[in-house]
Amino acid sequence: MREVDPKDPETGDKWEVQLRKGCLELAILAALWSQKLYGLEILRRLESDSDLIVSEGTVYPLLSRLKVLGLVRSEWVESDAGHPRKYYALTPVGKQRVLDMSKTWARFSSSMSKLLAPLGKGK
Amino acid sequence: MTTVDGDAQQKIDAYLARLRGRLRGVNEQDVREIVEELRNHILEKVSLGGAEVTASGVGATLAALGSPEELASAYTTDSLLARAEVSRSPVRILESLFRSASLSIAGFFAFLASIVGYLLGVSFILCALLKPVHPQTAGLWILPGSADDFLISLRLGFGSAPPGARELLGWWIVPIGLVGGVGLVMLTTRFGLWCVGQYRKSRVLLPG
Repeated sequence: MREVDPKDPETGDKWEVQLRKGCLELAILAALWSQKLYGLEILRRLESDSDLIVSEGTVYPLLSRLKVLGLVRSEWVESDAGHPRKYYALTPVGKQRVLDMSKTWARFSSSMSKLLAPLGKGK
Repeated sequence: MTTVDGDAQQKIDAYLARLRGRLRGVNEQDVREIVEELRNHILEKVSLGGAEVTASGVGATLAALGSPEELASAYTTDSLLARAEVSRSPVRILESLFRSASLSIAGFFAFLASIVGYLLGVSFILCALLKPVHPQTAGLWILPGSADDFLISLRLGFGSAPPGARELLGWWIVPIGLVGGVGLVMLTTRFGLWCVGQYRKSRVLLPG
């Protein structure tokens, strides 16, 4: 069995990538909670309101998948920019899903904080 | 109003044409929407830097999107997997597992197991349905092999039974074949969906 070096920066990076990957769906659904947004707005919202560094080439296919799963719907809206924009909004199923996900997140985050509390004291 | 210079327009068109060419398996309406949405994204992103869209600005924006091949793969795989999970159709599930089979050994075995599961399930159902049509020959047969060996054969009733063969279940093949066959198809579908779910979760959505 291969030994994992805890000081290996690559090990830490991979863990962080997996962690961010797991949060992306929740982050996108949460960004759409109060209003409909188009792709670039979603990217900007994720960049400004979260620590997620999101690849542009990741968000659009993911939005397409969320649409197939029935969690978001889309509509083209004419804009002042001279071209229509594709806006995404949560469906009722998507709203329920993001509520369930946020409850799970709160429970998980609270239990992890308890577990990690001694690490803060040991600094 | 944004103006796009000739080189920039050419670059955008070439990128989107390569993307369009690789969106195999995605329906035409979805392809049009994907291309249009990305065209607008590129133009809007580049025009943030000024009123005129230049080739160098376009280059940086296209690099941020990734290569057309990577982008198309994300679209086709993600939507394929999502469609398989939503529709629960064996065809969609096998299509998704076929894609995962080309990427990992586990995916290959999951695809193989699903093919065997579906074939066996459908064979049992067909055998049960054909028993009334070929009462003497359709069914589960035991065939003598070499030495102490024997073979078990599920026969649909076409042609005559091999010499020395003995039928095992008789008319019981009808209820057993139907229940067993449908059960096997359902079980394979559940297994296939679980594998598709695992494959989707294992896919890296962010650059490493």
